[in-house]
Amino acid sequence: MSENHQHLTNEQVKDIDENIAWAKINNDVLNSMKNPRKGYWVALVLSALLFGVMIYAEVYQYRNGMGETLLNTSHMWDLYISSFVFWIGMSHSGTLLSAILHLVHADWRKPIYRFAEAMTTFSLLTAGLFPVIHLGRVWNFYWVMPYMSDRGIWPNFRSPLIWDAFAITSYLTSSVLFLYIGMIPDLAICRDNTTGWRKTLYTFLSLGWRGDDRQWRHFRFTYLMIACFLIPLAVSVHSIVSMDFAMAIMPGWHVTTFPPYFVAGALYSGCAAIITLFVLLRYFFKFEEYMTMPILDKVCKLTFVIAMVWTYLNLIEFSAVWYGHDIPSKEVLIAKATGPYSIFFWGMMFFGSVLPFSLLSKAVRRNMKIMFFISIFLNVGMFLERWMIVTPTLSMGYHPQGFNVMWPGWVEWAMVGGSFGWFGLLFLVFVKVFPCVSMYEVKEMVYHRKRTTYADVDEMMELHSGVPGPEAQTQQSGGA
Amino acid sequence: MPSLLGNVFKGWSDYSKGIEQGGNQKYEHMFSMSIDLDKCTGCNACSTACYAENNLAWVGEYKFASRQSMHWMRIERYFDEPDVGSSDPESLDRGASFLPMMCQQCNAAPCEPVCPVAATYHTVDALNAQVYNRCIGSRYCANNCPFRVRYFNFYDNAPTAWPAPMDQGLNPDLSVRSKGVMEKCTFCIQRIRGANETAKREGRELKDGDIVTACQQTCPTSAIVFGDLLDKTSEISKIWKRQQVKLGTYKQEKENKDLRGYRIFEELNIEPKVLYLERVREV
Amino acid sequence: MSKTKIDRRNFLKVLGLGSAGAALAGCDMPSYVTSDEGKENIYSYLAPEEYVIPGIGVWYASTCQQCPASCGVHGRVREGRVLKLEGNPDASVNKGKICQMGQAAIQGHFHPERIENPLINGQKATWDEALALVAKKSGGAAWLTGAMSGHQRVLIDAHRTAGGNARHYAVEVVNARPWEDASLATLGDANPNLHIDKARAVLAVGADFLGTWGNPVKSMRDYGNFRSAPRGVLMSIEPAMSMTGANSDIWVTARPGSEAAVLMGVGHILTTKHGVSVADMPSAALAFADMTPTKVLGLSDVKEEQLAKIADTLMANSPSLILANANHDTAKVAQVLNMMLGNVGQTLTPSAAITAEALLPVTGSSKDLVEFAMDAKAGKISSVFISGTNPVFLAPSKLDMAGALAKVGFKVAIADFHDETTTACDVVLPASSALEAWGTHVPVDGSDAGEVYIQQPLMENVHANTRGLGDILLAVAKGAGVDGLAEFEDYYGYLRTAVSALIGSDLEGDWNSILQKGKAVTAVNHSNFNAGGDVALGFSEPAAKAGTLTLITSARQGLFDGRHANLPWLQEAPDQISKAVWDSWAEIHPKTAAKIGAKDGDYITITSANGSITTRVFIYKGIHQDAISVPMGRGHTNYGLYAKNGVNPLSLLDASSGDRQTTELLNSGVSVTVKPTGDNRHLVRLMDVDSQHGRKLAATITADQFDRNQGGA
Repeated sequence: MSENHQHLTNEQVKDIDENIAWAKINNDVLNSMKNPRKGYWVALVLSALLFGVMIYAEVYQYRNGMGETLLNTSHMWDLYISSFVFWIGMSHSGTLLSAILHLVHADWRKPIYRFAEAMTTFSLLTAGLFPVIHLGRVWNFYWVMPYMSDRGIWPNFRSPLIWDAFAITSYLTSSVLFLYIGMIPDLAICRDNTTGWRKTLYTFLSLGWRGDDRQWRHFRFTYLMIACFLIPLAVSVHSIVSMDFAMAIMPGWHVTTFPPYFVAGALYSGCAAIITLFVLLRYFFKFEEYMTMPILDKVCKLTFVIAMVWTYLNLIEFSAVWYGHDIPSKEVLIAKATGPYSIFFWGMMFFGSVLPFSLLSKAVRRNMKIMFFISIFLNVGMFLERWMIVTPTLSMGYHPQGFNVMWPGWVEWAMVGGSFGWFGLLFLVFVKVFPCVSMYEVKEMVYHRKRTTYADVDEMMELHSGVPGPEAQTQQSGGA
Repeated sequence: MPSLLGNVFKGWSDYSKGIEQGGNQKYEHMFSMSIDLDKCTGCNACSTACYAENNLAWVGEYKFASRQSMHWMRIERYFDEPDVGSSDPESLDRGASFLPMMCQQCNAAPCEPVCPVAATYHTVDALNAQVYNRCIGSRYCANNCPFRVRYFNFYDNAPTAWPAPMDQGLNPDLSVRSKGVMEKCTFCIQRIRGANETAKREGRELKDGDIVTACQQTCPTSAIVFGDLLDKTSEISKIWKRQQVKLGTYKQEKENKDLRGYRIFEELNIEPKVLYLERVREV
Repeated sequence: MSKTKIDRRNFLKVLGLGSAGAALAGCDMPSYVTSDEGKENIYSYLAPEEYVIPGIGVWYASTCQQCPASCGVHGRVREGRVLKLEGNPDASVNKGKICQMGQAAIQGHFHPERIENPLINGQKATWDEALALVAKKSGGAAWLTGAMSGHQRVLIDAHRTAGGNARHYAVEVVNARPWEDASLATLGDANPNLHIDKARAVLAVGADFLGTWGNPVKSMRDYGNFRSAPRGVLMSIEPAMSMTGANSDIWVTARPGSEAAVLMGVGHILTTKHGVSVADMPSAALAFADMTPTKVLGLSDVKEEQLAKIADTLMANSPSLILANANHDTAKVAQVLNMMLGNVGQTLTPSAAITAEALLPVTGSSKDLVEFAMDAKAGKISSVFISGTNPVFLAPSKLDMAGALAKVGFKVAIADFHDETTTACDVVLPASSALEAWGTHVPVDGSDAGEVYIQQPLMENVHANTRGLGDILLAVAKGAGVDGLAEFEDYYGYLRTAVSALIGSDLEGDWNSILQKGKAVTAVNHSNFNAGGDVALGFSEPAAKAGTLTLITSARQGLFDGRHANLPWLQEAPDQISKAVWDSWAEIHPKTAAKIGAKDGDYITITSANGSITTRVFIYKGIHQDAISVPMGRGHTNYGLYAKNGVNPLSLLDASSGDRQTTELLNSGVSVTVKPTGDNRHLVRLMDVDSQHGRKLAATITADQFDRNQGGA
C-alpha cells in the first residue's frame, strides 16, 4: 500500500478497453476513410508539389548531366545513396511490427501494424526511386534486371548493387503481398459497408471473403507463413544494402559489423517513424481508443532498446577502428569527429544515442506532442547517420588526391525533399482508400483481452484505485 | 552431375593458382608499366598526350574547380620529404616529388566486382577494360578505386571541348564518351588492338616495342616503360625482375634493400600492375 | 626546275568529317561532329588516293613551331586529317619525343578562332587586295618576328635588303641571351654544345633547362640519361622554384639578383677549400677571394654549409656542368667555373653550325623588343611586318608599345590568331598553322649533325583562305621586287630548289627521303673555343628596398610566354609547381604571407612603379622570402575565348632596370609592394594537398641507401 498512489484510469493501464463494441470499431475505422477535411487536401497538394519539385530536379539532371548535383571525382555518391539507405531503413518498421511481433504473440501491435505495413511498402517504393535516379544513364536502368537480352549479357552477380536489386524487389513483393493478404478480411468489411466505386474496388480486392471457418484457418496459416518468410528477408535486405559499403575497400566502409549495424539502424528509424505516424493518425482520426497510451508506451520502450543496440554497434565500430592499425580508417573516424562534417557527426550521436534516454521517462512517453518531436529528431539522427556513412569516407580515402569536402546542391536536396513528398502522397492516398487500422485484428485483441485475466494488471488496479479488478467485476455483473 | 562438381573443383584450383600468379585467368598477355620517378621531371607532356590520344574533354575552370575534370593521367606533386632529411624547414631544399598517376590496371581490381552491369572487367591481356556502351553510371567502381583514377562524365563535355573545327582532331580509334559514363586510362587499348591487328596481318607474334602508349611515346626522359610481363624478353619484365617485385603477393621479399621498385597501395592486395621506381635524392 | 607540279597535294584532298562520323563507335553519335547540325554524312572511298587506306594512319614528318626550339615531329594523319603529333625519332635534337606544347599544337591547328581571311583595317579583303596594299606601302619595312631560322629568314633578309636594309627585330622574352653573351665573351662560342648526359653533376643557376631554356625536350632526354646509372646529381640555385629546381637533389634559394655572388661564393670555396687552380684568370681569382661566405650570406641569404655542399658535390662528381641564365654576370662566373673544373671539352664542347649561314637562327631577345619600341617612338620605322610574336602583350606597360606602334605608318601582321598586336595592325594576313605549311628550320641546340628540319603540311588547309608563312613571305618578297623569285609559284617550289642547292644534289630521289626523315643534312663548320684568358667577374648588389619584394616573372613550359593561352589543353594542364589551372597566381613564402597578412586564396595587388596587377596568392616554401613570383602567360586582353583569365606580370617590368649587361627584361629586379585586397577565392588547382599524408606514394630514397652505380631500372 503505497501512500503516493496515483489514481490510474483504465486507459492508462490497459492496452485497450475490452468493452469496445464491434460495430464501433468498424464505424471508427470506416469513418476515417470518408469525408477528408480541408487539411487533408492541403497536405495532399503539398505532397504532390514536393513530388513535382523532385520531378523537375530529375528532368534538369537528366538533361544537363549528373554534374548538376555537384558530385565530383571524389564524392561519387552523396545524398541519393544516403536517402536510399534511409528509406530502406524506414521500411523495416512494418516488418518488425507485423511479422516479428506477430511471432512472439505481442498483440498490442494489432491496432498499429496496418499503417506500419503500409509505411514499409511505401518506403520501399520511395527507396526504389533512388538507385534509378543516381544512375548516370538513367534510361538504361533496366540492365540491372536479369533478362534474356539478345546480347547474351547478364548483370554482374558479384556486385552488391545487384544483390540490392534482387533483395529490394523480393522484399517489396513480399511486403505488398503481406499487406494485401493481411487486409483481406478488412477489405471484406469495407465491401459490406460502402457503395459506389469503393464497393467495386473492395469487392474486387477482397477476393470473395466470406469469413467462414475454413477461410480463416487458411488465412491464419498463410499469414503466419509469410510472416516467417518475411523476417529473414527483412534482415537480409538491409544487410545486403549494408554490403554496398561493407564490400567496398574504402576506409570507413569496409567494416564487418555493418550488416547488423544497418539492420539495427533500420529497426530504429522504423520505430521512430511508427511513433510519428502513430501520433498523427491518432490525432487526426481520433483513434484514441485503439492507439492507446500503453501501446505507445510499449513502442517507445522498444525504440529505446533498439536505440541502445544501435548505439552499442556504433561504439564497437568506433573502437574497432580506434584500436586497430588501419590508419586511413582512423583518419576517417577522426575527420568525422573533428573535421568539416563534425557538427553532423555529433548531431547524429546526440539524436541517436543521447535523445533516446528521454524515452525512459514515463512522462515523456505519455506526452503526445513531445513524442512527436522526439521521434522526428530520432529520424533526423538516423538520416544524419546514413549521410555520415557515405560522405566522410568519400571525402578522404587512401589517396590524398581524393581529399575533398563537398556539400550537396539544390538538385540533391530537391530529390530528397521530393521523396518525402512522394511518400506522403502514397500514404495520404492509402489512409483514405484502405483502412489504416486493422479492424478484425482489433476485434481479436478486444476479444482476447476480455477473456484473459492479467493478474498483475488486476493487482495494480486494486492496489491503486481500490476498485476491484475485472474478474471481480465480471463476477458481479455476471458475464459480459 | 560429375562434370558440374568437376568444374567447381577445377575452377577453384585455377582461381587459387591464379592468385599466386597474379590473376585468376589464363592471360595471353599481361600489360604493365614501370615509371621511374627519378627521371620524371613532372613536365606534363604525358598528360597532354593522353588528352590528344584518347579524346579527353577539357572542362574549363568552373568544372575543374568542382573536381569534375577528366585527366586520365595526372601528375601529382608533393613537397614533403618523409624519408629524406631536409636540412632547412623554411625551404624546400630537396625539391619536389612528381608522381604520374593513372589507372594501375590492377589484377585484382576492386572496381571490377562491384559494377552492377559488368561494364568493367579483366581482359585476357590483363587489362582492366571499361565498356562505355554498358556503363549505366552507378559510380560504384569509382568509389572502390583507392587511387581515385576513375573519372565520370558528369556532363556532355563534347560540345564545349570540341567546337568545330576542333572536332576534326578527334581520334577516330575510340569513342567520345557521352554523359553518364565512367572512363579511365586504358593503357591506350586502341593502340594495343591496332598492334595486334598489324601483327596478325603480318603473320607474326607481338613483340616488345610494337605497342607504345601515348604517354610512353612522348615522355622526354623515357621515364615510362610499357610492355608485356608474360614476354620474358621484354624490357618491362626485365625491370620487374631486376626490382624483385612479384605479382600475387603484397609482401615483396627483396634481397637487395637498395632496389627502388615498389607498387602503390599493394598492401590492399589489389595487385596493381604499375611499378614505380623510387626517386633518389643526394643529401 | 621552274614549275613543279605537286602531286602529293592531290591525295591530301580531304573529305574531312565523313570518316570521323563513320568511325566513331560509342554510345552516342553527337550531331556536332558533322558540319551541319543534325545531319550525319558518311562518305565511302570508292576510289581513294593511293596512299589512303581508311582506318590506317599514315605518318608524315614535320617540324614543331610551338616554341623556338623547333623539334622534329611526326604527324599521324587519318583520312586526310592530322590527329596527333609525336616526336620524330630521326631528329637528333629531340629523338622521338615532344613536350606538352607540341602535343597541343593540334588544338591550335583546329582552333575555332583562327583568322580565316585577310583583313584590311579590320574589314575582310582578298589576298590580291591585301598583297597589293602591302607592296605599295611597305617599302623599307622593318621586320619584327619571334626567333626564326631557315629559308623563311632568307626571304626576310632578301626583302630587307631590297628595301634598304631595315632592321630585323627578333623578340623572345624567354631566351638564353645572358648565357649566350657570356659564353661568347668567355669561350668565344655563343651556343656551346651541352652534354648533360655525360655530366655527373649539374648546377643550374636560374637556368630552367628542363622547362623553358633552350630546347627543353633535348635537355630532358639528356636528363633521362643523366639520371641513369651512374646517376648524376642535380643542384639548383634560384630565387623561386622552377621545374628544374623541383627535380634537384639540392635546391638552394637565393635572394633575387644575388646569383652571381652565390656562384662566386662557390668559386671561393673551390679555390680555398679544394684548391682548384685559377692561375690563368687572376681577375677571377681576385673576385673569388673577395667573395667570402660571410659576404655571400649577407648578399643572398645562402649559408656557408650550402655553398660548401655545392662545391663538394662538384668536386666529387666530375665532369660537372654549370649552367646559368640568371643574368650575364652569373653566366660569366658559371663559365669560369666550368673552365676551372675542367668541364670545357667534356660536358661543354664547341658548337658546330651549318655552313649555310643565311639559314642560321636569330634567337630573339627582349632587348630587341625594347629597341623596337624606342625606334618606333623616335619615328625611325616607317612600316613593319609583325609575325610570330605579340609585342603589345609582351612589352612592359612603361614601354607603351601601343603608342610606339601608332607611330609606325604601316603595319602588317602575319598571324593565325587575333591577338593584342594584330588588332593594332593595318593589314592582317592569315597564316596557316604550322601543321599545314612548308618551311625549313635550323634547331637552336642542334648537335653536330648539321640538320635542317623540314616543316611540311600534314594536311590540306583547314581554312581555304590561309596561306603558309613561307608562301606569304614569298609573295611579299616578290611584291617588293626581290630578284630571282618569279619562277616560283609557291613556297614549296622555292624550297625544293633551295634545299637542293643546300645539300648540293639534284633532288628527285632524295627529296622523298628528306621528307620521310623530316630533315636535310648539310655541311657544318666546326669551331673551337677561345684559347682562354682572363675574365673579369662582377656582380651587382641586389637592390633591396625595405618593405618591397622583388618580382620574378617566371616562364612555364605550357603557356610559355603567353602564346599558348588560347589552347584549352595547356590552360587545363596544371602548372608543374603550383598545380594551378586556368588562372594566374603569385607565389610567396609563408613568412612573407604572414607579414602581409595573406592566406591561401587571398587576392593581392602587386604594384611596381609601372603599374599594378591583382591576383591570388599561392603560399609555399619554394621561394625566397624577399621574392614574389608571378608566372607569365596569362592576362591577355584580346586573345580569344579561352585566354580570358589571369594577369600579365610582364606589364610591371621596367625596361631600364634589366640585366645590366644584356638588358634582358626577364632578369630585371623590379621592386613591388604587395597588399591584400580583402577578396578571397580558392585558387583552382589539381590537388589541394601538398603532402602524401604518410602514404607511400611518391617514395624517395637517399643516395646513401642507393648505389649510384647500380642502375635500378
